[in-house]
Amino acid sequence: MRFALAVGTFLILVIHGVILYHQFSHKWEAHQIAYFNQAKAMAKGDAERAALEARSPRIEQTVVADFGETRVDRCTTCHIASDDPRFSTYQQPLKTHPYSLAMGDVQKNGRWERRHKFSEFGCTVCHDGQGRGLSPKDAHGEDEYWPDPLLGAAVQENWRKEFVPMLKGKEFLEANCAQCHTSPGFAGTPTVRRGMDLYYASNCYGCHRIEGLSDGTIGPDLTEVGRKFKVDYIYARIKDPKSVLATSIMPKFNMLTDQDIRALVIFLKSRKGKNFSETEMDRYRLRATGGAELVQAHIKPVQINPAQMARQGEQLVLDRACTACHKLGAKDGAVAPDLTFEGLLKDPAWLDAHFRNPRSTMPDSIMPAFRFTEPEFKAMTAYLSGLKTVPALPSPEAAYKALCLRCHGDKGNGQGPIAEHLDPSPRDFTKAAFMNSKPMDRLVASVRKGVEGTSMPAWERILDDRQAKALLDYIQTAFVKEPRQEPKPRNLPAANPVASSPESIARGEATFVNRCAGCHGRKGDGKGPNSLDILPKPRNLRNAFFLSSVSDARLFDSILYGVQGTAMPSWIDYGLSNNDVGDLVNFLRNLNPKPKGGQNAGTI
Amino acid sequence: MSKETASPSLLTAVKELPGNVWKSLFRNPLPTNDLERSSTSFTNFFLHIHPVKVHKNTLRPLYTLGLGLVSFFLFVILVVTGILLMFYYVPSTAQAYDRMLDLRGSVAFGTILRNMHRWSAHGMVAVVVMHLCRVFLTGSYKKPREFNWVLGVVLLLLTLLMSFTGYLLPWDQLAFWAITVGTAIAGYAPVVGKDIQFLLMGGSTVGQEALLRFYVLHVAVLPATLTLAIAIHFWRIRKDGGLSRPADADPTPPMEMMGAQAGSKPSLPEGKKTYGLQGLVRGPLTKVNNIPDNTVFSWPNLFMSELFVFVMTLAVILVLALLFNAPLEEPVNVMHPPNPAKAPWYFLGLQEMVSYSAFWGGIGVPGIFVGLLLLAPYLDRSPKGVGVWFSRDRLLANTIFLTFLAANIIFVIIGTFFRGPNWAFVTPW
Repeated sequence: MRFALAVGTFLILVIHGVILYHQFSHKWEAHQIAYFNQAKAMAKGDAERAALEARSPRIEQTVVADFGETRVDRCTTCHIASDDPRFSTYQQPLKTHPYSLAMGDVQKNGRWERRHKFSEFGCTVCHDGQGRGLSPKDAHGEDEYWPDPLLGAAVQENWRKEFVPMLKGKEFLEANCAQCHTSPGFAGTPTVRRGMDLYYASNCYGCHRIEGLSDGTIGPDLTEVGRKFKVDYIYARIKDPKSVLATSIMPKFNMLTDQDIRALVIFLKSRKGKNFSETEMDRYRLRATGGAELVQAHIKPVQINPAQMARQGEQLVLDRACTACHKLGAKDGAVAPDLTFEGLLKDPAWLDAHFRNPRSTMPDSIMPAFRFTEPEFKAMTAYLSGLKTVPALPSPEAAYKALCLRCHGDKGNGQGPIAEHLDPSPRDFTKAAFMNSKPMDRLVASVRKGVEGTSMPAWERILDDRQAKALLDYIQTAFVKEPRQEPKPRNLPAANPVASSPESIARGEATFVNRCAGCHGRKGDGKGPNSLDILPKPRNLRNAFFLSSVSDARLFDSILYGVQGTAMPSWIDYGLSNNDVGDLVNFLRNLNPKPKGGQNAGTI
Repeated sequence: MSKETASPSLLTAVKELPGNVWKSLFRNPLPTNDLERSSTSFTNFFLHIHPVKVHKNTLRPLYTLGLGLVSFFLFVILVVTGILLMFYYVPSTAQAYDRMLDLRGSVAFGTILRNMHRWSAHGMVAVVVMHLCRVFLTGSYKKPREFNWVLGVVLLLLTLLMSFTGYLLPWDQLAFWAITVGTAIAGYAPVVGKDIQFLLMGGSTVGQEALLRFYVLHVAVLPATLTLAIAIHFWRIRKDGGLSRPADADPTPPMEMMGAQAGSKPSLPEGKKTYGLQGLVRGPLTKVNNIPDNTVFSWPNLFMSELFVFVMTLAVILVLALLFNAPLEEPVNVMHPPNPAKAPWYFLGLQEMVSYSAFWGGIGVPGIFVGLLLLAPYLDRSPKGVGVWFSRDRLLANTIFLTFLAANIIFVIIGTFFRGPNWAFVTPW
């Protein structure tokens, strides 16, 4: 044991030696000593030499309280020659920080004078990095946990290798220049400006909010994105959104080049919430305006010539990134419906209303309201409503692939490529119980007339009655996989037996809260507590377009006998009488004032 | 008096000053005979907590594994490094993380101090649990050591609390979310859960108030409590007759020499007879005459062993501190929880169980486990199987204990290595 004790004690001694060695042999001391020696050799007089002689290595630091939180920048501990013009040809860390006219440095009597003095600004306010660190790894922020690595220079271990070349370069520093020089026209920040233009040109503003610049609500708020995220993350989120977050619904903007994305990243990196030049009053004004005006100012409205509406509209649809989501010919963003034959599906009035406010025609649409000008909307409407080429559909299978697959999926299970973006979700044809519980007329009507308030368009100008039936036959054999059975007529009242009255509506509401709110929600918006576990999702009963398009008889059918293949039970089994359902129908009708417009309101 | 007598004595006094100071500090020379060995243990403040003579069984390395001592020495290392770290730390949400950066980057010996403190803290949790296992598996909690066992369980809980409160102080993402998860587990307790959670955090979320509370708990309340509990724990070891040992470890002394027999009820001291202090001390260490025993002098046997354990503990911690840096993740971002947010590793078993059932995993099962531990000496009254690892007489108790322990370890391992984003099962390779 004595031997082990001796070994252990010796080990402790050795470790103390190692620790002491680490403590008293810093790299930065070597850098400083090298600097002193070089400077002594260059010194002009004895006084300067003596002054250098008297200096010994120590931690140099600048404490800056003027920009945001107090910064402690110890960068000049290694970069000790950064303000010594004689070292401009030396290697880092002993290199002079370059002087440049662009940064406002001026030459007086052959000597440069800095506009941004290091003693006033420190280093990290422009460069980022971790000012307190004394080793390159710490100070440059190469440790994967440091939120602000040296902008455009440091690379963290976990960054994706293929993106790294795009994340380096002096342009990234512009993001920090823009913290004080906020004017988009500032000459020193051209890349920020370019990114900002792209932010508008690529329709980012439609989904995202940046205080004072845009007010989209579909995507995350980007007001503080530059403070919250590192450049590699922002880059990856734009370059390949789903690679970062599998549930992201952001489209991949294929028309953006890597350089474009880089400019966007630099612009976004400059969005850090409150910046240094802002006053509280500016901030208040920004919040009050929301930014609509800025959008108009940025996207440079196109002068529309009435004679060339359709052609200009086509150009606009291409330029304004519509195909980032929609399909149009060969271009496909895989988020939103196909516009290739839009003129056959929607009339100009619907298109125009949908452009101005997508939710005015489709209550649960995720399409943002873009801030184009009136004439631009008109031109785009003119172009889209002119797309009237009937596609060649040699067989029902071809028709399914061309028209239905995008939403209903190649397996007919309602999970087509864009289905996750649609609300209500496309019908699942593999649910035989549903398909066989609806009369053929009803199915044909859904195909040819569409379903109001949903993404199902009216195909009647593409499919005639015979083609629609053939298509439904194909669906029956390919997906339903059960022989078609015409349902027996159910015992339904021809009209609502209860006249609408405040009392009836109140009774209906009571029943609704008791029986229906669990799935359809207290507000009737289909978001009840049970709705999370139910597919297809419970119907949004505030969708006035849908509600007003269905007859009382159909509501009675769905409530009394349930909707087969969904979670909607047959309420006649739970004791609801015709009168109870009548009250419910009155309540639902009262909830949804009859909407104006809509392509084929009241046809079903 | 006169100068002639005073001046030589002053001179001698100066000459003999170092020797005299030394002698006044250490009253005994290095001992050469048994009397001096006894006296050395007896007259030194730090040694007098030990008995003069110690049972040979106590010194068997494979019996105790030195685990109790290791935990104590880790605590000592923690106190020393902790006090040094306190000089640099500010319990404020605005400054705490910057202070961590300073400790890592600029403060002399900052990194090594923080590393030592971190790894000793993790080590102490592990070693205290192992110590508990040793005591249980050797049946050492049995009469007369019941209460010391209870104290030991309390010490384990205090150690966990110490480690848990310290976890928040770096104020990085790891700390913030681990404590958010940990305090949420406390919130699952019935009736008082939410109140305890609120009391711990000083609000409804982890923030400045929580940081201050955790700091005060970590540097004042808990260390003081722990020190007191450790003192009582040590004191009771001696009053309970030293460490446990098998019944046959002591040769049976002749009956007439032992006074009261083992079988008969110990009689209370009666008024007629006077008793010395020795007469009040329990157990077979009360040695009246020169009866045969299995004890050796603490000096040097016990002290050398203790020194050995200390040196090994310190060496291991130093090596760990030199090789591995204590983690420091991003500064706290309240809006951006990591996925998954994990509690400290020793609570990951709880978190794993909480993922099945909030109440049973977070409160029910651990509550039952701790309750059983506390009650173990009062439920298991059989005197058999003391002082031997895995005694056959203790098959049932040991099996139950090891089952609980293994389950917890498995849960900790699953929680640590096999849980990915959204607490989904992942493989670590």
